[in-house]
Amino acid sequence: MTIVIGRPSKGRLREKTLERFAAAGLPLSEPEDERLYRAHVEDEPEIEVRFLSAGEIARELAAGVIDLGVTGEDLVRENIPDWESRVKIEARLGFGHADVVVAIPEVWYDVRTMADLEDVAADFRTRHGRRLRIATKYWRLTQEFFSRTHAIQVYRIVESMGATEGAPASGQADVIVDITSTGSTLRANHLRVLSDGVILKSQACLVSSTRQRDSSDADLLARITSAF
Amino acid sequence: MTSLAHDFAAQLLAFLDSRQTERIDIPVIQPADPFLDMAGESLRGRIFLTESETGETLCLRPEFTIPVCRDHVASGLSVPRRYAYLGEVFRQRRAGGSEFFQAGIEDIGETDTASADARSLADALDLVTTIAPATNWRVTVGDQAVFEAVVSALGLPRGWRHKLARAFGVNGHIEALIETLGHPRAVSHDLPDTVAAALDDGDAAGLIDAIAGRMEELGFTAASGRSAGEIATRLIEQSILDRARLSADEIAVLRGFLGIHVPLAEAAQALRTFADRLDDGSAMEAVIATFARRVEKLAECGVALDQVTYDASFGRALDYYTGLVFEIAALGSEAPVVGGGRYDRLLTLLGAGQAIPGVGFSVWLDRLEAARDSKGEGVA
Repeated sequence: MTIVIGRPSKGRLREKTLERFAAAGLPLSEPEDERLYRAHVEDEPEIEVRFLSAGEIARELAAGVIDLGVTGEDLVRENIPDWESRVKIEARLGFGHADVVVAIPEVWYDVRTMADLEDVAADFRTRHGRRLRIATKYWRLTQEFFSRTHAIQVYRIVESMGATEGAPASGQADVIVDITSTGSTLRANHLRVLSDGVILKSQACLVSSTRQRDSSDADLLARITSAF
Repeated sequence: MTSLAHDFAAQLLAFLDSRQTERIDIPVIQPADPFLDMAGESLRGRIFLTESETGETLCLRPEFTIPVCRDHVASGLSVPRRYAYLGEVFRQRRAGGSEFFQAGIEDIGETDTASADARSLADALDLVTTIAPATNWRVTVGDQAVFEAVVSALGLPRGWRHKLARAFGVNGHIEALIETLGHPRAVSHDLPDTVAAALDDGDAAGLIDAIAGRMEELGFTAASGRSAGEIATRLIEQSILDRARLSADEIAVLRGFLGIHVPLAEAAQALRTFADRLDDGSAMEAVIATFARRVEKLAECGVALDQVTYDASFGRALDYYTGLVFEIAALGSEAPVVGGGRYDRLLTLLGAGQAIPGVGFSVWLDRLEAARDSKGEGVA
């Protein structure tokens, strides 16, 4: 049988993943023909490697198409419904750090915490004739954080697939939920993270699919993950 | 083959017709925005969404109260008016199917709210009893207005009164909020010098100018968003709240109130006893009188008060519910068969030009059928 590993196909995530796998004694070498999207590991005929984007890796883990992969914790929690039953975070890898945060216009001087934002959201419709709008691509994380953790029921999500930080200034939304590593883009757009507005401290993770597998595959998977 | 429809549908429609109602038909395909605007984004994951060719977000009818009220506002018809419905609703549930039937009555525009409240609860109880006569029912009532009167009687600052009122009925949140307000933690504030100076001087006009100046400088035009005046007002209010905290006595009063759980026949007396212990319990007189009148009306409607419990902490998390809320479940079962309540803010939120009171209930017919068929089981 085979264990399929999803490896990030490009960028810094790819480089760091290669380093960590090599350090774990499992060099995920590049295919000789670089147009190929899959490869095998030397001396490990039962391991197949596929090159995918981080988002695809989260999706394919959830579907049980691949057994193991490296992807961001934000993508696992955002893109996989009921993620804890379908995948397992085997190791946090110490790179790809980024926070998913609630950020508001810097000039909202009266809003310091989520409790303040709750006050503002509650009055928004009376004052402005519409609900508070949040621009984000993180629907699930936003809903859990606002509705469940902070009991903020009334707001609307405006889907944003890019340049989310610009949404408050352009009037598309009032506040945003977005990912940030250094905060510089937020500051450049005059946005401020609420003091208790960090939804998730994300980093690259080694993630396995919880799908059923035979005992030899399970042993192989355990051998790989134990090296991290 | 099993049918989704219930064998008691005809009997149920006859019951609804016998209660001075007019039948209303609501299309299955609905614009999604009113539901998301009213009930919040957390509904999004539980409804069936789709998009029209022109990009409008549509959904399969997830409930009846909002579309019935929208339909009423659009019709411009006179009030009072009692709408009855029976039809399928579509919602993703963890347990059970995602399409099931609901029936209910929405009572719109009746200004004698105590009578309308009582009639709504009595109708609901009569309905479930008509279909499942052998089942023993337990009824729980709560009242948003009573809690708001308690908070008001304590003389708390406006910002806190509203915050507590919103947290009422949200699972676990009210307790957490009381705890937080009792032990507020200082939050540091990094204000620009001009803003900080105006705030320290208590110079409201200067504060607005300073904030407006910053907004312009940073490119936030308050075209549709928050204005400098709104931010300034809250900032001033906040500096007062930062120095306040709920006292141990106030916390004890709130917790004592939320712990009231008595048979409805004793509830008005329990509330009077509670109010007597407050420094300014007179602020609760009017709301207790309304409560007591509703109980009288319920007795007049033939409701056996001994099967009804008043739970002071029972409320709904939605901001358009304003007064009575109630639930009916089979004795020995947790899942409510009926949910109901007063929503005096809903019709104006949906665009009515003037305030129109409303109260209503919905019955989950699959649960009603289950209660009928398992009558007596699990009951001592």
